[in-house]
Amino acid sequence: MIELLNVPSLLTVQDSGRRGYRKLGVPVSGFMDDYSARTANYLVGNPGDAPLLEFLLAGPTIRFRASGVFAVAGDVDLRLNGAPIEPWMSHWAKRGDVLEVGALKGRLYGYIAFAGGIKCEPLLGSCSAYPKAGLGRPLKAGDVLNLGYAILTGKDGRYLPPELRPDYSAKEKTVRVVLGPNLDHFTEEGIETFLSEVYTVTPESDRMGYRLDGKAIEHSEKGAGIVTDAIPTGAVQVPANGKPIVMLRDAQTTGGYAKISVVAAADLPLVAQSRPGERLRFEAISVDEARELLIRREKTLMAIRDFLDGKMRAYRIMAGGEELIAFTKVERRG
Amino acid sequence: MQPTIKPAGDSALLVSFGEVIDEEVNAKIHAIADAVEKANFEWLVEVVPAYSTVYVFYDPLKVSFSEVREAIEPFLQVSPESFEGRLVEVPVVYGGRYGPDIGFVAEHNGLSVDDVIEIHSRPTYRVYFLGFLPGFAYLGGMDERIAAPRLEKPRLKVPAGSVGIAGRQTGIYPLESPGGWRLIGRTPLRLFNPEREPPTLLRPGDIVRFVPIDESEFREPYEAEWGEGDD
Repeated sequence: MIELLNVPSLLTVQDSGRRGYRKLGVPVSGFMDDYSARTANYLVGNPGDAPLLEFLLAGPTIRFRASGVFAVAGDVDLRLNGAPIEPWMSHWAKRGDVLEVGALKGRLYGYIAFAGGIKCEPLLGSCSAYPKAGLGRPLKAGDVLNLGYAILTGKDGRYLPPELRPDYSAKEKTVRVVLGPNLDHFTEEGIETFLSEVYTVTPESDRMGYRLDGKAIEHSEKGAGIVTDAIPTGAVQVPANGKPIVMLRDAQTTGGYAKISVVAAADLPLVAQSRPGERLRFEAISVDEARELLIRREKTLMAIRDFLDGKMRAYRIMAGGEELIAFTKVERRG
Repeated sequence: MQPTIKPAGDSALLVSFGEVIDEEVNAKIHAIADAVEKANFEWLVEVVPAYSTVYVFYDPLKVSFSEVREAIEPFLQVSPESFEGRLVEVPVVYGGRYGPDIGFVAEHNGLSVDDVIEIHSRPTYRVYFLGFLPGFAYLGGMDERIAAPRLEKPRLKVPAGSVGIAGRQTGIYPLESPGGWRLIGRTPLRLFNPEREPPTLLRPGDIVRFVPIDESEFREPYEAEWGEGDD
């Protein structure tokens, strides 16, 4: 059991999201940055999709009412009973210990995972908060959360080296997209503008979507409106003012603005972790290339999990002048 | 009718019969959506039908776009079965504090408030699909004589259950939310309740009829749905 003593910013329970309810108008929700969230879960020995705490910009102060193992994903100052401890590492907390999570550096969302996960009653198959529809609510000081049961042996002291952590610190990021599906609503020049200009994340951005500012994208004579249809996560809508909006986890399920592209699933965390004022460039790739990126990313995440579980070793190697991380299986004799 | 098939990112495929709002096309859309769902593909995440499109969401770790396209192609030929939607009566208090824009809608169309109520509550409306907000139904069949433009400045808070008009559309806000529709009334019914199965009152294919009620008839069904307390 944990108690929230101080909640300085948006703090919610999230898991991998709600599946199967889009056709009833219920958004997917779930981790804004699934790469970091899954890594946080692997650090404490959980399945990647276990419910955890997602915080925006600055984290909470937490008192452990029972002992447990936790880890924080995100570059952030952490103090356990006033003494500094490392993020990206799992730690043991005793009953009564107080964890203070500071302000994030170089990203927007951070994750606090607990061995056993946060215990909750799933609503429509998920613990992800979507407060607008009465599905969970933002957490506040005084809230007490139960943790699931976990075998704790060997779950603390797991460490993810900096080379294996996702890096979102670049102020200008290249985001890969699959063009379409409503390309007929844009002029060739409009599509060219989208792919060659730099777009800045505006403060009007939240879990629903990020509004971008930059050179207006020109619509074709068909205009900005389409006959309403579904919105995939990562869809880039362009309303009449020509400024793109990237739709994210809490996006409405259907909408009437033309979609110039959809962000590759592998690059969604890159968008989600971009702060207002940071810049995005869009690069078009094919649907098969986007799939390849996601498969490669999944292999990396599985290797990270096995590495943290002690089933893999990681090596730093030089290949063609480039520094890479290689994983090898730990041989077990017996 | 031949649909086009396109990728919508790496995790969804779009089947489109063009940008049309047509009852027959929409029936076909639902037939395809049902057939794809029933096929139980292990890579299928979910299917979202709209007016004239079906989005098929899949797991790209399990399947490629071209494999999904190939797998769903046989289902594009299914013909809509004769489908009898349920008739759902939606009680509405028109006007007053529940429908502050009904006067505008009347004036804009050169009608009396009673005419607006009469024209809005006479026809039946078909649920084309659900989307936008949890439990929000896209309804077809509103009489153009009561069409009205959206507010220039959307309200920050529209109460749940508000019945509104936007252009040639009518609809019910399932949740309290910001909104720019002209509000003409309110229903005490709860359109979305995550603790109910299914969580939505309306389903695609349902037929909706708005039934005018008095303010005095509002409280009891309201409390039955929402519990006690002020609206």
